[in-house]
Amino acid sequence: MSQKQATKLHLIDTDIHERAQYKDLLPYLEQPYKRYITDNHWLQEKHMPYTQPSVAGVDRADARVPDGRPAGSDLSFMQEQLLDPIGHDVGILTGALDPSPSSMHGWYEMATALASAYNDWQIDTWLDQDERLYGSVHIAAQDPQSAVKEIERVGSHPKMVQVLLPIDDQLWGEPFYHPIFEAAERHELMIGMHHNEPPVYYGKWPRYFIEWHTLIPTAHMNIVTNMVFNGVFEKFPRLKLMMIEGGFTHMPFLMRKMDQQYKDLRHEVPWLKRKPSDVIREHMCFTTQPLEEMTKKEFMQVMEQMGSDEIVSFSTDYPHWDYDSPFDALPPGLDEDLKRKLFSENAKAFYPKLKHLRKER
Amino acid sequence: MQEVVCQKDDLQPGEMMESTFGRHSIVVCRSSNGEYYAFMNRCIHQGAPLSKGKLCGAPEPTDNVGEYNFVKEGDILRCPWHGREFDITNKGCMLANEKLKLKDFKVMVEEDNVIVYK
Repeated sequence: MSQKQATKLHLIDTDIHERAQYKDLLPYLEQPYKRYITDNHWLQEKHMPYTQPSVAGVDRADARVPDGRPAGSDLSFMQEQLLDPIGHDVGILTGALDPSPSSMHGWYEMATALASAYNDWQIDTWLDQDERLYGSVHIAAQDPQSAVKEIERVGSHPKMVQVLLPIDDQLWGEPFYHPIFEAAERHELMIGMHHNEPPVYYGKWPRYFIEWHTLIPTAHMNIVTNMVFNGVFEKFPRLKLMMIEGGFTHMPFLMRKMDQQYKDLRHEVPWLKRKPSDVIREHMCFTTQPLEEMTKKEFMQVMEQMGSDEIVSFSTDYPHWDYDSPFDALPPGLDEDLKRKLFSENAKAFYPKLKHLRKER
Repeated sequence: MQEVVCQKDDLQPGEMMESTFGRHSIVVCRSSNGEYYAFMNRCIHQGAPLSKGKLCGAPEPTDNVGEYNFVKEGDILRCPWHGREFDITNKGCMLANEKLKLKDFKVMVEEDNVIVYK
């Protein structure tokens, strides 16, 4: 371990991908769903045509479990490779059941069953096995009634910190989905949004992965805009939204653009009674990964244009190929106060279920 | 300094017209309750001629998502370019940000004359 790694970070890592294989979920699935997997070899639909991004698909090549299982599928190995050497205080699990149950086309019953099985597996296999790990409630959000039932079923678990929604082509801010937000708010759960396979190129897959991956933040911008202008945070004032794995450097542009549009077009959204950027600063937080390489000066310019250094939280995105190291991803020389905010204080302030950590140190 | 900018009957409630006050182009508005107001005929945003816009109403702020309560018909001046809304009965304040307002002028009515003064 290098000198700089010897300093304890007190890290709250806001994006760690644990992974379930279907056989892991079988003990948690009722019939007939279990038989559809064992007998019919049911697989979720897959869309992304790229298998070439890096040396091991979309995972770190060194994160494959030594016994051959896929990256992220074994707690002991995650502890050995990530949690122990870095010294995580908290890791927030964001899943890898892709595509998300909320993104499945049709057969919402199967999506709902998968989400429930996943939650039970997540609690048994991860949350109850390592005190550092916190989780996300998976739902089949395209069926809000069943999604609310699932939030009611597992949402009160003390280590479930958020309801996870994929960023794809659904506009979650629309009133149809508001019962989900109402249920989340009732259980002190925030909303976490993570892109799944969003159609960032006019609904098509561009020729190259590099094109698609470069523009993922545009999908995040779509849903931020949708959530603000549809008045979700005016209707649910205690609700907050963590935007995961899209970075944050696009937000100065978007906040300025939304504020300008609001001056021109307020009449269309009269339920919004304050600047969109104020809503964003009060109700949203953005995970850092994948960080662009920046100098300290460039990084601080972005922070200044965000209008707050309290709405960004560090994330590694382990075990994905574009993992960010907490020791090397941020520009060197950042002030210690700012690093404390990025590494832990901002996440602690964001998640109500981490409030017991707020008074330490 | 004072100047007759129009006649009372030139405007019905909810109407506006361009006029001049000294060297300034101004917009004279008559609100829904019959009062007269005058503003610099130049939007504070990018200088559009406000008299070419609309004197209309606006959905008032609401606590209910999806609800439109259209109020103040004849009292809201909307810029002809970007559509920004200004309340003529509230010193020309912008609805989206009350800290921003149009340049307004004092107005009085004497007999049939609408007079701007300072």
